[in-house]
Amino acid sequence: MKKTLYEFYNYFPFLKEVIKRDFKKKYYKSFLGVAWSMLSPLLIMIVMTIVFSTLFDRAIPHYPIYLFTGTLFFNFVFEGATHCMGCIVGNAGLINKMKIPKYFFCISSVTQSFITMLLSFVPYFAVCAATGVPINYYMLLLPLLFVLVYIFTLGLGMLLCAYATFLRDLNYLFQVIRRAWMYITPIFYPVEIVPEQFRFLWDLNPVYIYIKIARDLCLNASLPSEKMLIVGTCYSLLMLGLGIVTFKEKSDRFFLYL
Amino acid sequence: MSEKKAVPVFYDESGNIISSSQTILRSKTEKASSEPPRRIITPPRRIDDDISIDVNDVSVMFNLSKNREEGVKEYFVNFVKGKLRYDEFWALRNISLQIKKGDSIALIGRNGSGKSTLLKTIAGIIKPTRGSVKVRGSIAPLIEISGGFDRSLSARENIFLSGTMHGHTRKYMKSKFDEIVDFAEIEKFIDVPLKNYSSGMVSRLGFAIATCVSADVVIADEVLSVGDARFRMKCEQRIDKLLSGGTTFLLVSHSTPSVKKLCRKAAWIEKGQLREVGPASDVCDHYAQFIRNMPVGSTTPTERRTAAE
Repeated sequence: MKKTLYEFYNYFPFLKEVIKRDFKKKYYKSFLGVAWSMLSPLLIMIVMTIVFSTLFDRAIPHYPIYLFTGTLFFNFVFEGATHCMGCIVGNAGLINKMKIPKYFFCISSVTQSFITMLLSFVPYFAVCAATGVPINYYMLLLPLLFVLVYIFTLGLGMLLCAYATFLRDLNYLFQVIRRAWMYITPIFYPVEIVPEQFRFLWDLNPVYIYIKIARDLCLNASLPSEKMLIVGTCYSLLMLGLGIVTFKEKSDRFFLYL
Repeated sequence: MSEKKAVPVFYDESGNIISSSQTILRSKTEKASSEPPRRIITPPRRIDDDISIDVNDVSVMFNLSKNREEGVKEYFVNFVKGKLRYDEFWALRNISLQIKKGDSIALIGRNGSGKSTLLKTIAGIIKPTRGSVKVRGSIAPLIEISGGFDRSLSARENIFLSGTMHGHTRKYMKSKFDEIVDFAEIEKFIDVPLKNYSSGMVSRLGFAIATCVSADVVIADEVLSVGDARFRMKCEQRIDKLLSGGTTFLLVSHSTPSVKKLCRKAAWIEKGQLREVGPASDVCDHYAQFIRNMPVGSTTPTERRTAAE
């Protein structure tokens, strides 16, 4: 434990370089650059609003923001995890040549998705203003939620990365799961359309818990229930623990597969 | 012909390698009265302050999977068939080696004998299956030519990336930046992506970074072989300078002259086992003799097949 912290401190400049490099690479030769990260979720939100608003507009007040909140967090979790899955294979050139903490690449991958999500909050607040959702003080609590979701995503990413390095097509399988998960999670539909007796299953979905907390803060201008916060925190910490344990166990054998 | 067993290496009381192979008899008689020579399998566990690298009974196993299980589908198909088996391949077997601080040692041996695996184990990239490796101080490993570079980045970015990989701060690398660029002679191409570099330029940059930053142990794997004669001379001067400053130097090379010139000692690895450790010139000569006596092509499968027929 102490050794790991010491190592983290020693190699911290390297982590910064990797994050910087990944950020640069992401926007390298793209015409719109960083603006793309703001534009893309906005466009998707607009398309989805047009498609689904006739279905759910009456059941949900402020439907665009309801939808936007959902897609932002959902995309962060799943994009972060997807990037993580490829990070060890993608950095094989570095990992095979020098002793470096391998989990740094996971941190960097998740951080890239996190930056994308933060950038998406610029159009988010613009849409808030445009559709008449009042900006409230509870939104100041969003950073705490970011921490929870970041930890959860990092854990999930490390877990998947540990296996994806051995099983290269895990990524395709994961994309199918991602699609399915998108439909299980009430992102574009209200949870009320789920029959009452099954709703407890929906409340177990960690991604939905985070989205629900975010909607409480931004849309309802209220504090989320304590139960949800506790369950959400537990999910984050459990996932991170699971991710670290799996990654640590598997990472000694990565070199055989790179 | 190479079925000869690994030759034991002996240590004196400070743990320094004093003899092996051909020189054994002499030292054995010298030492016999005072202290029984110790076998390589059980080297002294006491690490002195002047030991820089301590490789203790290291073995590394690779899985050679014949049917590549790189996908979930293949994995499950083979799991159901009960075919999840691998062929074990021991790349290194019971290697023990102690290298003193400020010493220079070359690893020699044929292709695939385990030299690079041993270097990677020392550099901490590969965790040994058995045994342990202890390294005192920081290591600047230069494994293969493009050691630790991102080829899509420019040399400038790579200097900082690689430098921080060695555990240095960006500020420190900035102070060393000009020195590195000067030594590598790449001023003109400093902002060109590394993928457009020639292999000689990349290896020059790698060598410059690894030797400009302060490190206690410098590991160079086949780096000198790509540079031209002038650059090799420059490298040799640099290595001499490092050695006089107390840096421990590990070299993998197939060039006997540069091994003899740069390194005081050499370790000969054959089929993953340590065959001989000793003064560079002696080991190199034995190795060269061994190669000369080996019939060319005798070990290829085709040869064996025709011999069997």
